[in-house]
Amino acid sequence: MDMLHTLPLLSLLLAVPLLGSGALLVWPGQPSPQRLRTISIAVLALQLLLSLLLLLVFDPADTALQLREQHSWLPGIGLDYSLGVDGLSLPLVLINGALTLVAAVCTRDFSKRPRIYFAMLLLISAAVNGAFLADNLLLFFLFYELELIPLWLLISIWGGAKRAYAATKFLIFTAISGMLILGAFLGLALFTGQVDFSLTPVTTERLAMGSQLVLLGALLVGFGIKMPLVPFHTWLPDAHTQASTPVSVLLAGVLLKLGTYGLLRFGLGLFPEAWALLAPWLALWAAISVLYGSLAAIAQRDMKRMVAYSSVGHMGTILLAGAAATPVALLGAEFQMVSHGLISALLFLLVGTVYRKTGTRDLDVLRGLLNPERGLPLTGTLMILGVMASAGLPGMGGFISEFLLYRGSIESYPLATLLCLVGSGLTAVYFLLLVNRAFFGRLAITPPTNPLEQSRLDIQLAPVAPRESLPALALAVAVVAIGLVPAVLGHLSELSLTALSQAAIAATTPMAGGLG
Amino acid sequence: MPVIPAELTRSGGMPTAEELQRRLLAGETLLADTANHLLEVVDVLKSYGEVLDAYSINLIYQAEQQFLNPFPVFKYLDGDLNPAKIWRHLNHDRINFEYAEYCMKAMLWHGTGGLDAYLDSKAFAANCAAIIARKRRRDPLLALLNPLFPGFLPELIRNAATTHALGQFWRVMSDLFLDLAAAERDGRVGSIPQVVEFIKNGLVTAAANPITYGVTIHGEHCWVLPPEAGLTFLVDVAVPYVEAVFLRGMPFLGTVSFNAQAQQISPDQAQFAYGALYADPLPTMGAGIPPSLLMQDMFRHLPERLHDVYRQRTRGEGDVRVKICSSFQKSMFCVTNAAINGTMPHPLDTPDPQQQAANRAYAGAWAARLARGRTDCLPAQPTVGS
Repeated sequence: MDMLHTLPLLSLLLAVPLLGSGALLVWPGQPSPQRLRTISIAVLALQLLLSLLLLLVFDPADTALQLREQHSWLPGIGLDYSLGVDGLSLPLVLINGALTLVAAVCTRDFSKRPRIYFAMLLLISAAVNGAFLADNLLLFFLFYELELIPLWLLISIWGGAKRAYAATKFLIFTAISGMLILGAFLGLALFTGQVDFSLTPVTTERLAMGSQLVLLGALLVGFGIKMPLVPFHTWLPDAHTQASTPVSVLLAGVLLKLGTYGLLRFGLGLFPEAWALLAPWLALWAAISVLYGSLAAIAQRDMKRMVAYSSVGHMGTILLAGAAATPVALLGAEFQMVSHGLISALLFLLVGTVYRKTGTRDLDVLRGLLNPERGLPLTGTLMILGVMASAGLPGMGGFISEFLLYRGSIESYPLATLLCLVGSGLTAVYFLLLVNRAFFGRLAITPPTNPLEQSRLDIQLAPVAPRESLPALALAVAVVAIGLVPAVLGHLSELSLTALSQAAIAATTPMAGGLG
Repeated sequence: MPVIPAELTRSGGMPTAEELQRRLLAGETLLADTANHLLEVVDVLKSYGEVLDAYSINLIYQAEQQFLNPFPVFKYLDGDLNPAKIWRHLNHDRINFEYAEYCMKAMLWHGTGGLDAYLDSKAFAANCAAIIARKRRRDPLLALLNPLFPGFLPELIRNAATTHALGQFWRVMSDLFLDLAAAERDGRVGSIPQVVEFIKNGLVTAAANPITYGVTIHGEHCWVLPPEAGLTFLVDVAVPYVEAVFLRGMPFLGTVSFNAQAQQISPDQAQFAYGALYADPLPTMGAGIPPSLLMQDMFRHLPERLHDVYRQRTRGEGDVRVKICSSFQKSMFCVTNAAINGTMPHPLDTPDPQQQAANRAYAGAWAARLARGRTDCLPAQPTVGS
């Protein structure tokens, strides 16, 4: 254990995928796609192992950032290489490790530039780790932006027919998001006169409320685009629809969490007074986002777009938890980030399997896929489990998240909470529509391809090999495990989130009031 | 009305009722004569013959040895109670005798033909009374049950009678199908018309076989279906069997779910069309349903030649029961074809206009019923069992 404490684990979490990415790019000769995939999986498995090692040295009772590593980098502009981890970021680092590994394992299409593909995958993983672990605003921003270009490449090169449109839209939205966040961070320096961007010394309590509101507004929009919140969500369904399955897994499972993490860490953490002032409106915004996402999901015919809109709804609930900012609500938000990451990754994996086997995601075309003889019975079974988890049925991760979240917010914002509850109820509606249309009923008969052909045959689907189902099975186990043993995750995060909540409450009491 | 519209479950290429009638009157077979069809029909009937042999033995055992046994725990073991067999039974390494019972219950429930008429007769009631009176003398449980529930034991005897009659019917059909396989192997049968002719001849030969059933109670032989009832193989058992199992079937044991409360099932049993000739080979949202049980049993006895063909198609053994069901339907159309040919009122080449009209009416009635079935399996198809 002592040896672990001496290891720069956080730096290793950045270095391993980063070096792996570089190694793939300069690997001599022409390695086969399978070899590149194997190397990536090995690197990501090592990264996951390092993430798990964090659990051994992390002290849940310590609410400050732990395992800190600090090196001066560009002191003139306040940029330090400064890392730390707490109960808010640790679970997110873990799901980043797990889901990037899943994304690499479930990559099946090696037809185009596999070397760049896997290198970008590793680079994104390193950047996301960096963003979650950064103890410096500018360092966070650097990592936040670092994942932008690789993800843009992953969508624009390995995406669907309209990938250029979707990738460009993603790029524009996320670039604006980045600019707003950077603007807020720089504005903070401008208004406070501080050049040190380290998280701990940053304080806004002496800022005028007007300045706080401007800066918080920029962060809200910036991170609201990333989460995404209505009306800044329009890039997400397009990006998901055009992205390949592994990229969708990453996008929904990990990258959206940069937005929610940023909102809680920097929005709530740095601007508690302004946050408290805006909180009722944030709760209303959350309710609108949840309801809009759910209603839009009901209207979808493309399975992937439906799952994408469900993300809009679920991410809205995290804003509600942030608005309430009670310890229980924030713990619910943490659970929601983790379980939504796992559940949406599971759903995208399964939608990807359906698309690979049937060539369509159209709910008006698909039917009967649960057929035990010629359908995709295991995929269907896992899909039912996934949608049940997403709808918040007890025994699975989604239930714990939503129960804690709503329990923590109902006293502060009963109306918004009830509206969000309606949105959660609608989750069951649209996902049952999905399951009913695509998986129940009689397996489709292929349309006649040749008008002269007299006979039509039952649709011939290739079976799903057991190894193809392994990533989805692993995610399903994790979703159920969180639902059955939530205390493990709760133990990691509870005190850190309570501290965040208490800090926010303390900052809004008259005693703690500042000049503003 | 079925929940799933026909256009979703039937592929194209379904002959019309007029076309089916024309084929019947022209002496053509319903199933297209192709090498693939011949292989499928002969081999699947061979496996069916093996399964029917086991069903037949068990049904006759149940009717004779488990007669009026209120707790027939070991009825599927044919009297062989060695531990290895019991273990195989419990481990489900066995024939699904439940399917045979479902067929018996279908016959009993639909109740058509001479057998059913006899089961409702006073003579049968008198037989039952005599049997029960003798049986209850040394059986206190039956002595208690009979006065409390006077209809119970006669109903059990009705069950046993149908069970035995079906056992006798399948005994003949099993031998016939195994003989067909031998004839094809010997080169005596080489086309679908010859298959239909072979089956027709077998049915005609057995047509007048008497159907009788007696049990021994305390050393005394008692008739349940006595010879003087005059029941015969073809008219009194085979035809009701075809009606109940091939044509009508049972909606709740079929391959598709139906909702009686939504008026999706006709209140008139004669209008039922859930039998083997109508079943969707692709099970929908269910497992362990009777047709699947039969397919499991046939898979155990599948000839290697057909097995090889199935392995090369679609999902290999992954969807083998669907393929067996599809081949089985083709073979059942051949059997039905043979039965229709064998029971045609007049020779097909009769010059008498009245006889021709009678044949037309007979063939037309059959064609109208069959046209609603899975006739999409009848045309020549590019793959076997797809």
